[in-house]
Amino acid sequence: MPDLVLSDIRKDFGAFRAVDRVDLTFAHGELTALLGPSGCGKTTLLRMIAGLEEPSGGTIRLGETDLTGTPPHARKFGMVFQNFALFPHLNVADNVCYALTIAGTPTARARARAGELLDLVQLADFGQRRIGELSGGQRQRVAIARALAQEPEVFLLDEPMSALDAKLREEMQVELRLLQQRLKITTIVVTHDQREAMTMADRIVVMSQGRCEQVGSPQEIYHRPANGFVASFIGRANFMSGRVRNGAVQVAGWTLQAVPAPAFIDGSQVTLALRPEKARLGADLPVGNRLPATVTFLRDVGATRDIHLDTPAGPMVVEEVTDRGTGLHVGAQTQVYLPPDALHLFPAEPVAA
Amino acid sequence: MSVETADPPMAPPDVDRGPGLSGYFMVRIAFCVAVAALCLLPFLMVIAISFGEKVEGAGWHFAFDLTNYRRFFVGADWPNSTSTLYLQKLGWSIYYAVIASVIAVVSAFPFTYFLTRLTRKAQTLWLVFLLSSLSLSEVFIVMGWDILLSARSGLPMVFQETGLTQWLKDMGWFDTLRDWGLASPRNVKFKTSVFATVLTMSYLVWPYAVILLYPALSRLDPSLIEAARTMGARPWTVIRTVVIPSVKLALIGTVLLLFVFLLGTYVAVTVFAAPAQQTLAVSIYEAVRGATLNAPFGSAQAVVLLVTAVILLVIGQKLSTAGGKG
Repeated sequence: MPDLVLSDIRKDFGAFRAVDRVDLTFAHGELTALLGPSGCGKTTLLRMIAGLEEPSGGTIRLGETDLTGTPPHARKFGMVFQNFALFPHLNVADNVCYALTIAGTPTARARARAGELLDLVQLADFGQRRIGELSGGQRQRVAIARALAQEPEVFLLDEPMSALDAKLREEMQVELRLLQQRLKITTIVVTHDQREAMTMADRIVVMSQGRCEQVGSPQEIYHRPANGFVASFIGRANFMSGRVRNGAVQVAGWTLQAVPAPAFIDGSQVTLALRPEKARLGADLPVGNRLPATVTFLRDVGATRDIHLDTPAGPMVVEEVTDRGTGLHVGAQTQVYLPPDALHLFPAEPVAA
Repeated sequence: MSVETADPPMAPPDVDRGPGLSGYFMVRIAFCVAVAALCLLPFLMVIAISFGEKVEGAGWHFAFDLTNYRRFFVGADWPNSTSTLYLQKLGWSIYYAVIASVIAVVSAFPFTYFLTRLTRKAQTLWLVFLLSSLSLSEVFIVMGWDILLSARSGLPMVFQETGLTQWLKDMGWFDTLRDWGLASPRNVKFKTSVFATVLTMSYLVWPYAVILLYPALSRLDPSLIEAARTMGARPWTVIRTVVIPSVKLALIGTVLLLFVFLLGTYVAVTVFAAPAQQTLAVSIYEAVRGATLNAPFGSAQAVVLLVTAVILLVIGQKLSTAGGKG
């Protein structure tokens, strides 16, 4: 089946630009997560793909077919809504075969298909239940089964886990991913939860203020963030500001090496980002790339411990595995090592939220 | 119609309630008595009087006499002869009220549906306008429609002057209108007719229909409609399979409420309905205040009208809950 291609897609609400010149290709059979803070335009983008919003500019194509002006009922894209949008006046089976019923499929065949789909989402015995009798997780499964009934070419999910409690959410993320891999259906999930995106997605599109900040695999996005926004939004990061000098970075009077060496001209202001789990504390630290630090706070969170530090470059958090305890206490003087290959450099700019 | 008679609050046995609380209790008792006196008493009086006896030239006195009810169902002269005059009036009451309330709801539904899709500000303006139109009295509205539909000043004259009447005659549709009682040999005629009566009655309750349907339609989750659209439903299919079933209870409830309200229509019926097609409400008024002056018989008619309304409400309720399970 063909890829879904968005070219130069824009959406304006009055003077507000919700989606700004987005170019994306959704490869067949892949699960892509649109990830970003609320108001970044990810849901608007998804709704344009579904046909529920009309783009202010740009085109949406499925292979050779231009779908930009096609109404939603003619697109054959299944969608799961944030609140699931199940029809309260129909029972579970009738909800699932809604698409087939209105398309005029013979009742017996529609029923059989509903049965298969309910089986697929492990709700085989729930066909005759009313929607009001279902739990949140069951409703979500019904919504997924219903969206799959018309064998959609693209499967869209708008914040599908946000109505579920934390434990169920993690189970459903794994389950949905397994289902998607089994059906090999092109899937786009909107989420603001980076763990959710990393659990499920082949590819993550990080969005902010209507623009795509970075597109890549979960590992790429985490380990090689393209800019300060991605580094701060995906996982945690310590930020420092510095100035490039002779292929190294001056931070608060200390010289730090970065690998690869910074490709900035001498004297330019840069922002450095470092994941808390990459920094190291204590004795036997490699030579160089060290800053003196004072422990200001310790936060035990089970398997790991956050050590809050005060350094010449500003406050910093280091995450270490608890059983590798360094025996630090609040007020202790220590040194923090910043591995050169873990320092990410970006042009200095305010970190957008 | 029903009066909530509050149970006396249960007093814990070992707590001294003090003068303040018992004063509050007395106020509640007094309030219940006042409500009972104001709401229940006139109503009970009507029931009592309906069994009363008319005294020729001197009003009526209390009795327990079923004559009035017999007169209503089989005629005063029964068993010598049977008259269903008042049953027919009841029939007209129900007929007008059912048709007018259904027309009002069927036409108000699409209006309200599109109203809930407008901006908040536009919705408020429309609702304020509709609410203010409710301040117009029935007399005022009927007067307006009377002028609009009368032969010399209203629509029939417009039909005549614009040549529409001639066109209808040329097309051969004029005879159909005559069959329906909507034309005299020379021109279209709307007074008196069932058409004019029902039209005016549905106009009377139309703003109520919008206001009663509005909450259900504005609460309708837009994502239900969007979900249906992504599943291949065209706009009309969405309305048929999602919107109407979702607000079905509100639709039935509105029809029932407007129906009961319209059972009592007086002015519109006296102006627009033919004498042989007048309703029980008109007959009740005439018995109580008008030409016939027979309060016990008027009361009996009122009781029958009330019982009919209750029976139809119960049937409607049963139908809507039965439909809700299907």
